[in-house]
Amino acid sequence: MNQGMKVITLGMALMSSVAFAGNGTTAEHIEAATAAYKQVAKDTGYQWTVTVKTIKAAQKALDAGDDQSARQLAHEAMALVEATRTQAKVESDNWKMRLPK
Amino acid sequence: MKKIISQVAFGLLGLSVSAAVVAGPSEDRAAFQKFYENRFPDTPVADFQNGVYSILPAAREQWEAIEEFPPYELSIERGEEIYNKTFANGMSLASCFGDDGAVREKYPHWDKDRGMVVTMELAINECLEANGEKPLKYKKGAMADVSAFMSYNSRGQILNVEIPSDDPRALAAYEMGKEQWYTKRGQLNFACADCHMHTAGMLYRADTVSPGFGHATSWPVFRAKWQEMGTLHRRFAGCHNNIRANPYKAQGEEYRNLEYFVSYMSNGLEFNGPAARK
Repeated sequence: MNQGMKVITLGMALMSSVAFAGNGTTAEHIEAATAAYKQVAKDTGYQWTVTVKTIKAAQKALDAGDDQSARQLAHEAMALVEATRTQAKVESDNWKMRLPK
Repeated sequence: MKKIISQVAFGLLGLSVSAAVVAGPSEDRAAFQKFYENRFPDTPVADFQNGVYSILPAAREQWEAIEEFPPYELSIERGEEIYNKTFANGMSLASCFGDDGAVREKYPHWDKDRGMVVTMELAINECLEANGEKPLKYKKGAMADVSAFMSYNSRGQILNVEIPSDDPRALAAYEMGKEQWYTKRGQLNFACADCHMHTAGMLYRADTVSPGFGHATSWPVFRAKWQEMGTLHRRFAGCHNNIRANPYKAQGEEYRNLEYFVSYMSNGLEFNGPAARK
């Protein structure tokens, strides 16, 4: 992931972490991100490759006992899910603007 | 006054967008092809079938040298063997597609009875399964070999994909493919059109992006990056992976409809597959 993309993704993660703030266990946060991932895939018909990788990384960190990293990765995954949903929403109309005139 | 002008301008913009969106397939194709003719005025229209080499004289010489001893030659031979192999029931692929398999020009086509787009690779597997044989994997290997053999024998045929006007489902399939082409996907937020239309001819790292006009002519290809043959749907999946979007299933509805759109956009060009690509 390049630097710019990291900044955007982490920014989104921080925003979404506000929504999570302190509620539930890290395992629950990972579960929530997984459920949101599945739901957005169902709603939009597609997904980002990085989202599932981030969820897996969160689970791996949790299994290794690194709760802080796991929680941060779960929030990052949730942010990626939200970004996917936003992209799908924006693009449902914007694609038409790319047609050659 | 300024407000009125901006409102009129906005209205006109809206009208032009709506006109483009409601345009039928033939208007879409005319605008699509015109786009590339304007962008690459030095490229003869018929030459777009050669992909990126139609716009890149420096690489073309090298490519033509490669084509003298093509890396896909063995694939054609393997494909011919599979094509002529007798099934357990005494039939063969030749029973479905004729002695030489030169049927590229028939695909992709709209199957009105089933209400779906049928590609050549899908038809190959349907022939196998109808005769009690195991289907082949769609992206590479034996499928790419058979496809290479059939494409080779089909060289010179002209793309003439039809969107039947008497079946709204065909238009819907075409529109789905069109939407796929123009819609941004993945974490990198790219549409097919972003690379292969609006930045075609530009460098992405060390590689020049190929024009979308002509994308459907030369498959399957031997890619230097793969060091083997691959089908068009393998490439679609590779592009999606590159932009960090989960690829769709090869020969699923999404990619079949995308192939339908991309092929229709290249109508009038020659099939010249298989080919060698970077």
